[in-house]
Amino acid sequence: MVFNSLHFLVFFPAVYVVYRALPHRGQNWWLLLASYYFYAAWDWRFLGLLIASTLVDYGCARVLARAEDPHRRRWILIVSLGFNLTVLGFFKYFNFFAESLHDLFALAGWQVDFITVRVLLPIGISFYTFMTMSYVIDVYRREIEPSRNLLDFALFVAYFPHLVAGPILRASKLLPQIARPRTIARAQIVEGLWLIGLGYFKKVFVADNLGHLADGIFASDASLTGPDVLLGIYAFAFQIYGDFSGYSDIARGASKLMGIELNVNFLFPYFVTSPQAFWRHWHISLSTWLRDYLYIPLGGNRGTTWTTYRNLMVTMVLGGLWHGAAWPFVLWGVYQGALLIVYRATGLAERLDRAAEMRRAAVVGLAWLVMFHLTCLGWLIFRAESATQIAALLGALPHGWTGHAEAWSRLGGPLLFYVGPLLAIQLLEVRRQDLMAVPQLPLPVRYAIYVAIGFFILLFGDFQGAQFIYFQF
Amino acid sequence: MSVGRRGVILLLIIVAQWAVFEAGLRLSASSEAAPGFRALFMPDDRIGYRLRPGAQTHFATAEFETDIAINSSGVRDLPIGPKPPHERRIVILGDSLVMAVQVPLAQTFAKRLEDRLNASATPPARYRVINAGVQGYGPVEQLLFFERVVAAFEPDLVLATVFVGNDATEAAISEWRLTPTTERPAAAVSQEHATRLRRLLRASVVWQIVRLRLQTALTSLSGPVPERPLAVYLSDESPEIARGLVVTRECLANLDRLAAARHARTALVLMPARLQVDPEDESQLAEIVRRHGGTLVRDIATERFRTALSPLNLPTLDVLPVFRASASAGASASAKGPVGTNAGVSVGAGARLFYQQTMHLTPHGHEVLAAALDEFLRERGLLSATAPEHLPAAGR
Repeated sequence: MVFNSLHFLVFFPAVYVVYRALPHRGQNWWLLLASYYFYAAWDWRFLGLLIASTLVDYGCARVLARAEDPHRRRWILIVSLGFNLTVLGFFKYFNFFAESLHDLFALAGWQVDFITVRVLLPIGISFYTFMTMSYVIDVYRREIEPSRNLLDFALFVAYFPHLVAGPILRASKLLPQIARPRTIARAQIVEGLWLIGLGYFKKVFVADNLGHLADGIFASDASLTGPDVLLGIYAFAFQIYGDFSGYSDIARGASKLMGIELNVNFLFPYFVTSPQAFWRHWHISLSTWLRDYLYIPLGGNRGTTWTTYRNLMVTMVLGGLWHGAAWPFVLWGVYQGALLIVYRATGLAERLDRAAEMRRAAVVGLAWLVMFHLTCLGWLIFRAESATQIAALLGALPHGWTGHAEAWSRLGGPLLFYVGPLLAIQLLEVRRQDLMAVPQLPLPVRYAIYVAIGFFILLFGDFQGAQFIYFQF
Repeated sequence: MSVGRRGVILLLIIVAQWAVFEAGLRLSASSEAAPGFRALFMPDDRIGYRLRPGAQTHFATAEFETDIAINSSGVRDLPIGPKPPHERRIVILGDSLVMAVQVPLAQTFAKRLEDRLNASATPPARYRVINAGVQGYGPVEQLLFFERVVAAFEPDLVLATVFVGNDATEAAISEWRLTPTTERPAAAVSQEHATRLRRLLRASVVWQIVRLRLQTALTSLSGPVPERPLAVYLSDESPEIARGLVVTRECLANLDRLAAARHARTALVLMPARLQVDPEDESQLAEIVRRHGGTLVRDIATERFRTALSPLNLPTLDVLPVFRASASAGASASAKGPVGTNAGVSVGAGARLFYQQTMHLTPHGHEVLAAALDEFLRERGLLSATAPEHLPAAGR
C-alpha cells in the first residue's frame, strides 16, 4: 500500500477511528494488525519474512541480555546480524554480485555462469532490517534493555508509518512510546494534519510532476542541450527531495495523530554549504545509523588522517550500495565520499561554518551555490542508468546555451511552478529555523497557505499513484 | 476567535484563491480543459461536436508546444479549395492520434505522407493528404463526419484510422447516433445529462478539474477495471466490446459504401496503443488490471479488430508490427551507446514513438507511421488506382 493511493486514504481513517476508541494494549494489537495488513496489501508472501526477522531479533536480544560470557554474546550478535545480512544480501544483492562477477570474469576471457535468481525485492527490507540490527547492536552494547513484550517489539518493527520507507528508527526512541500509554495533545493533531498535507503536496504536486520533467531528460532518446540537462537535473533534485521528504512528512504526521513521535528525517538539505552539513540534513536517520554503526566502529576520525578518509569512503560507498544493487549507486557513494574527504582535507567545511557564524553573506551564498550544484551532480550519477548515460549527459552540458531559449520556457516554467511554492514554505521555515513554522502563523496567513496547498494538490497533483522512489531501497 | 469567524475567514480565502486559480488556468493553455483549447470545438447536432472552422490556439505542456489552427472547412489542415485537375486527395479520418495536437501540422503523419508522395510524384500530378482527425472521435463519429464534412473534399482515397485501444468502447457508446430517431439508451441519456452538466460547469475550469478528479477517484474505487478503454485488452470479452466491434464494422462498411459512391477507395489503419509497444507501460497497466481481478492480454485488442473487420475485405495496415520493429531497432541501437546529433547529444539512439504523458505520437512516431503508410499505399496499389493517368475523367 502506498500513502498516495486511495486504498491508504480509506485505510488510515478506518484504522484511526478504531485506534482512538481502544485502550493502550488494544491500540498496540490493533496497530500491529493494521501494520501487517498494510504490508500484506503489497505482497502477503513477504509478511513471513517480516515476522521471521521480528522473532529472530526479539529472541537474540533476550538471550543477549541474559548472557554474560563475552564470547557467547559475540556469537549471538553474529547470529542476529548474519540472519539479517543474509536476508538482505539474498533479496537485494545476490544478483548484483553474481552478475558483476560474471562480467569481471568475462573481461578476463572466462565464461563462468553464476546462478541468478528472479526474486522480488521485499518492500522496505532495507529499512526494517537496519532497525532490527541497530536494536540488537544496542542491546549488545548494553545501551538499551531488550523489550520484554513481543507485541511491543513486533509493533516497533512493523509500525506502518515507518515500515516501508523509514525513518529508520532507534529502539530507544520508539519502543518507550509503544510501551507506555499515549496521550494525544491538540498540538500533535494540528502538526500531524499539517505534515500529512505538506507531505501529499510534496509528493503529488512537486515530486510526481517534476518526475515527468526529469524523465524527459533521463529517459529521453532525443537530442539534449545543456539547458535541457541542467533543468532536468534540477527537476530530479527536487523530485527526489519532494518524494522522500514527502513520504517522511506523511509518516511523521500520521504517527503524530496517533501520539507517537518519529524522527525528523530532512532538515532543509538544499540550504547547506558543505557535504558534511548535507549529511546532517538529508536522510538523517540513515546518515546517523551509518555514523553510529559503521563509521565510528571502523574507527571514525580517531586514527590517522588516511584512516579517517578510508572510513569516510567505506561508509559512503556502503551507504550508496544501501540504496540499491547497481553500479551508479556505488559510484554515487564514491562521489559522496570524495566530496566529504575534499571538504575535510581543505578545511572548507569548518571555514564555511565560521563564515556563516560571522554572517558573511557573499561567502555563504557562493558556498551554497557550489554545494547545491555538487549535490545536483551527485543526483545525476544517482539517477543515471549507466556510466555511458552519465558521460552523455555531462557531455551535453556545455552545448546549446545560445539560441535555445525554448528549453527554458518548456522546462524552466514548469520547474519554477512546481518548485516555487515549496521553496516559499521552506524559506519561511529556514528563516524561523522551525519545521512547524506554518501552523504558528497568524490565522488568516496559515489558512491561506492550507487552502493554496489544497488547490495545488487538487488542481495540479499527479494522481497516477506513482510509487515513492525510496520504496525500492 | 469563534468558530463562525474562522469559518467566514476560511470561506473568503477559498473564494479569493478560487478566483486566482481560475484566472491562472484561463490564461494558461497547458491543459485540454483550458478555454483556449476547448474553443477549438463546437457543438454539432448529429455528431455531438466537431472542430470549429477558423479556430486557433497555442497549446503548451512540459513535453511539447504547438500552434493549432482549424481551417475554414473544419479540419486541422491548410485551406482546402476546389480540387485542381491533377491533384489526388487522400483524407485520413481518426481521433486524436490523427489530429495530433502534440506536434506542428507539418510534422503530423498526414503531412509527412504528403511530402513523401509528392517527392516521388511526376508533375503536374500531386497529392494532397488531408488530416481529418478529430480529438475523441470513434468509428461512429468518423462516419458521420465523413457524411457531413469530409465528403465535400472530393477524396480519392479514404484512410480510416481505427485506434484499437478505445474505438470498440466508443462505438458501443455512440451507436445511438447512427439512427437519431431511435430512443437513446439509458447510458447515452446519462452521458447527455453529464454533457449538459459539463457545459454548465465549464463556466469554472477549477470546478471542472475538481469534478474530474473526484470522478476518477470514485471510478477507481468502484469499478472492476480502473480505466474503461483497457476493457478491450481483457482476456474476457465484455458484451460492450463485442457490440462495439460489430458497430465499428458496420460503420466502416457504410463509410466504404459512401466513399465508393464518390469513386473513392477505402483502406484501414489499425493503430495500437502505447502499451502494446512499450513493455514498461504494459507491465504497469497489467498490474493495475491484475489488482482489479482481470488479465490484460497485450495484443488481444488488435486481434479482435483484425478478426471483426476481416469480412470487409478492405486493404488494412496493421501498424503494430511496424512500431514494434521501430521500437526494438531503437532499443538495440540504444544498447550500443549514445549517438551524437547536431543539437547536442542524443542519449540513446532510438527516438521514442510515444510521448511519456499524453501517450500520443512523437514527431519520430509520425515519421515512422508516414513511412509505413507510404510503403503500404504503394504495395497495395492504392496510389496507382487513384493516380490521374489511370482514372477516367468521367469518373471524377
